[in-house]
Amino acid sequence: MNRLVKQLLIIIVFSTLVGLLRNSLFPNEIAIIGGWRDLSNGEEPVIPPTAEKGDPPFIAINVAQMEHSTKDTKFIDARDFDEYKCGTIPGSINIPFDYLPGGDLKPYFDSMLGGIPLDYPLVIFCSGEECDLSLHLGRNFMDVGYSNVMIFFGGSREWENYGLEMERISNCEE
Amino acid sequence: MRRIIDNDILALLIRLTVGIIFIYASYYKIIDPQSFAKSIWFYHLVPGKLINIVAIILPWIELTAGIGLILGVYYRGSVALVNILTLFFIIALSVAIIRGISIDCGCFKAAAATSESAWETLRFDLCLIILTIFLIISRSKRWMLSQP
Repeated sequence: MNRLVKQLLIIIVFSTLVGLLRNSLFPNEIAIIGGWRDLSNGEEPVIPPTAEKGDPPFIAINVAQMEHSTKDTKFIDARDFDEYKCGTIPGSINIPFDYLPGGDLKPYFDSMLGGIPLDYPLVIFCSGEECDLSLHLGRNFMDVGYSNVMIFFGGSREWENYGLEMERISNCEE
Repeated sequence: MRRIIDNDILALLIRLTVGIIFIYASYYKIIDPQSFAKSIWFYHLVPGKLINIVAIILPWIELTAGIGLILGVYYRGSVALVNILTLFFIIALSVAIIRGISIDCGCFKAAAATSESAWETLRFDLCLIILTIFLIISRSKRWMLSQP
């Protein structure tokens, strides 16, 4: 038993030292204390000043990331196609708020989302804090009966700033 | 049965197989620690501040244990570590599957760039742990550079 513990300690200490040495010597060094957000503790979501009681819940990037990593949440980009194509959260569906058809929106949303159930989780976002499109589109979804709507108000900018993968249909100049 | 388990050639083959798997698994993680850290993050199991240090050290433990198995150096420690690590991977993958987290496991490639599913990797790990448990049970001591 003593020999086993001794061997375990030697291997672990050796690996730790070599790992730290390698990390400090090579160009792709990473910080020893990571800046990763703790997904289990949650961060404060960005809530717009225009938010009202009864609006869909606002979620922080860690929750958005977690929702994105599950298979059962649809992400909806509320911006115009011109912005959407320049960079969006991977797998998002583009439903531009500014181009919503008049009248009953339910058939339109059904056609865009493939007739998903009304309690299907939806995360709606736009570019970031200066953009209200996600909030307005989220209200529209709730008005027609969708019950599991979330708004990621940090939007695509916070997503990208945080180093998460973006999907680009075309390369756009700033 | 005991004779089969203690068979020197069979034990050597399994040592080599498990050792090569661990060395191979460590390679991508060592050359790209940032991507491996991201893979760990996706599991939602390690506190954010500890992710990088795990990403720096864990691949080297895999590599050292793999080499230890092949050469027969610090053999007992290496066998214990490959068992602990494989069990840990199985638990992590199972938790991810139960929570419905869609991940690439980060097991053999640090980045989430492979199409291997968590289920496939879990099946692989369950086969792997049979081999690693064999190494605990087997009393073969041949072809080792030092006493186990």
